[in-house]
Amino acid sequence: MQRRREIASAPKRSAAEVWQTIRELLGDTLDRSSSIERADLDAALDPLDGVARMLILAGHLEGHPLVLVAGELWLEITTVSGGSALSLQENLNPVPGGAGASDWTLHVPQVEPMAKLVRTTVKGHDHLSADEPTAPPQSAAKASGGVDLDAVARWAREAA
Amino acid sequence: MSTTTATTTYTYTHTATYLSDVIMGTIADVLALLGITPDGATRWDQDQSAIAAWIEEQSLEMVVLECRRPDGTVRPIFEFPVTYKATGEGEFENSRAAMARAHAKVSSVPSGTTYRLFCTYRTAHTPQLGWSPGTRASTDGLRSTSFGTLAEAPHASASARYLR
Repeated sequence: MQRRREIASAPKRSAAEVWQTIRELLGDTLDRSSSIERADLDAALDPLDGVARMLILAGHLEGHPLVLVAGELWLEITTVSGGSALSLQENLNPVPGGAGASDWTLHVPQVEPMAKLVRTTVKGHDHLSADEPTAPPQSAAKASGGVDLDAVARWAREAA
Repeated sequence: MSTTTATTTYTYTHTATYLSDVIMGTIADVLALLGITPDGATRWDQDQSAIAAWIEEQSLEMVVLECRRPDGTVRPIFEFPVTYKATGEGEFENSRAAMARAHAKVSSVPSGTTYRLFCTYRTAHTPQLGWSPGTRASTDGLRSTSFGTLAEAPHASASARYLR
């Protein structure tokens, strides 16, 4: 299930506020899983607090997403700055697909000149990776415009 | 036929948040480029908050990044002057891409180099958490290269200079 979320950064939010918003989005999404504890997730994200701010401040997350892979959920998170940030229609609701996840990894983009810093930061942390995530699940990637066509088809079959 | 228009009012807070973001983002990139260990999250928050507050009250003249080498010499130095506008017109724009290309001109520094941030002021300024009076290193003998305008916002703009 491939999803995307855009988070408004400056001038709407400071980098600290953007990172906190991303943390809450990740937490709210994975909190629906019976296998993932919110406190464990929060602790697992703590090592990113510094480098995430740097990536946000430098605008790197505008073109290079953070990617959460959790079971069948593939969530890409980017930021939007400038005038567009003030008019952005954000969806900060929990992202569908988190409930079925039993494990998760947040992939942090290796963007120059911060690639080495990113690699050093995530090293040794089970849920953090600087590697490119493997391709999203194809079964749900057919969705377009944010609509999961497979889910609609299942719903239609069940309703018939 | 009916028409509608949307008007967005940009505040000084928007300008301050945006310019402090771009300046600190450029500093983040420079530190990463030079392999200088950055401060922790709390310090980043304090610095961005302070710079934003000083831009909003229009007291900030310039943000300065000094790279202090293990032998005690200070170079390179990056200066980020802020220029204020009489009107609040214009949009939010930045030259991060041009700045990224300018990275090729930045010399490397030896391992163990640390950094300090300074701010200079054009008027009286409100004290901010984590900031205290300090003395900048001399720039005598350093060659200055302008990187041009770094960011434009409705009420102010920021540029960048590189001294080596």
